[in-house]
Amino acid sequence: MEKNNYSSSYIAGIGIGLSLLATFYITGWGLGASSPFSIFAAVGLERLNPSYAGSLEYFSRYLNTPSPLQDWVVFEIMGLFLGALAGALLSNNFSLQFDRGKNTGRMTRLITVFAGGILIGFAARLSRGCTSGVALSGGSQLAVSGFLFVTAMFVSGFLSAAIFRRLWL
Amino acid sequence: MTAPLYAYGMFNENTSLLFAIFLGFIFGLFLERGGLGNPHKLTGVFYLRDFTVPKVMFTAILVAATGLYLLSDMKLLDMSRIWIVPAFFWPQIAGGALFGVGFFVSGYCPGTAIAGFASGRIDALVCMLGIITGSLLFAVSFPAVDGFYMSTPMGGTTLPQLLQLNHWYVIGFLVLFAAGMFYIGAHK
Repeated sequence: MEKNNYSSSYIAGIGIGLSLLATFYITGWGLGASSPFSIFAAVGLERLNPSYAGSLEYFSRYLNTPSPLQDWVVFEIMGLFLGALAGALLSNNFSLQFDRGKNTGRMTRLITVFAGGILIGFAARLSRGCTSGVALSGGSQLAVSGFLFVTAMFVSGFLSAAIFRRLWL
Repeated sequence: MTAPLYAYGMFNENTSLLFAIFLGFIFGLFLERGGLGNPHKLTGVFYLRDFTVPKVMFTAILVAATGLYLLSDMKLLDMSRIWIVPAFFWPQIAGGALFGVGFFVSGYCPGTAIAGFASGRIDALVCMLGIITGSLLFAVSFPAVDGFYMSTPMGGTTLPQLLQLNHWYVIGFLVLFAAGMFYIGAHK
């Protein structure tokens, strides 16, 4: 089972809220997490097949810039990774594992986590951001976009839990 | 009025990238410490057994919203220079709904997958590869979805503007909503 040496949800929420507030104050935008994955897809495809990548209108927003990887959110998620790594190591919470529900086999987990990731990647582009950029940052601005996204996400999450109940039981 | 600092030219792009690493570090540290790198905790709310996700999320939103609007009211921050994610009604409803399925099935979202991988979870790395694949799929199918993607635009609207209410009423309502939810979730 999981080790549960996490800190209080309220402390974590205050910490995240203050880092988000500092981000608004310093930069003028919020914290994001999904756009780097789209940038990686664009840059990766450009390496493999430059002419096809160049033909994709959606990727031109990244590929038409001088250096697509020199992006604020790309640097932010590098920091995110290091911060989470530091948190896990310092609290003795780091453990190499292939995490899954206890009724979910390894092969099922491999398929569901990848398929879930595909849905997330597609949906985040359609919504113009994810739980960080739209829900958290948008929610804090009291932006309509944030509340539309959060409401739809929670309703759909509860429906999914009813349909795929066994996954995390 | 001197903030947002970057919009007022207080530093250059390279310095802003250093801030990105620093601010991301704090974000990731608290995500992991709050248990949001753990897919069991991330999906717990959907079984009504672990309210970590809504507790962390609403606390963070209320802290940042209070600070943001307080700084704006005190004329220490120019709200018109803050970039607000534009609302597109149906795309964000559909996107949120698809995202909810992906979130439950994978047990992660983009930021928490990174936090999960950083705490040693290889499945979170597979999720990240899926997210890249899904982004690619969106770009490939963009000619077909572009019409829908651009439909029902509402602009960078906020709830106070839409409802024509003072922002403190909206924040007050959110506090009440969160308090009710925290009360229900207190014993979970």
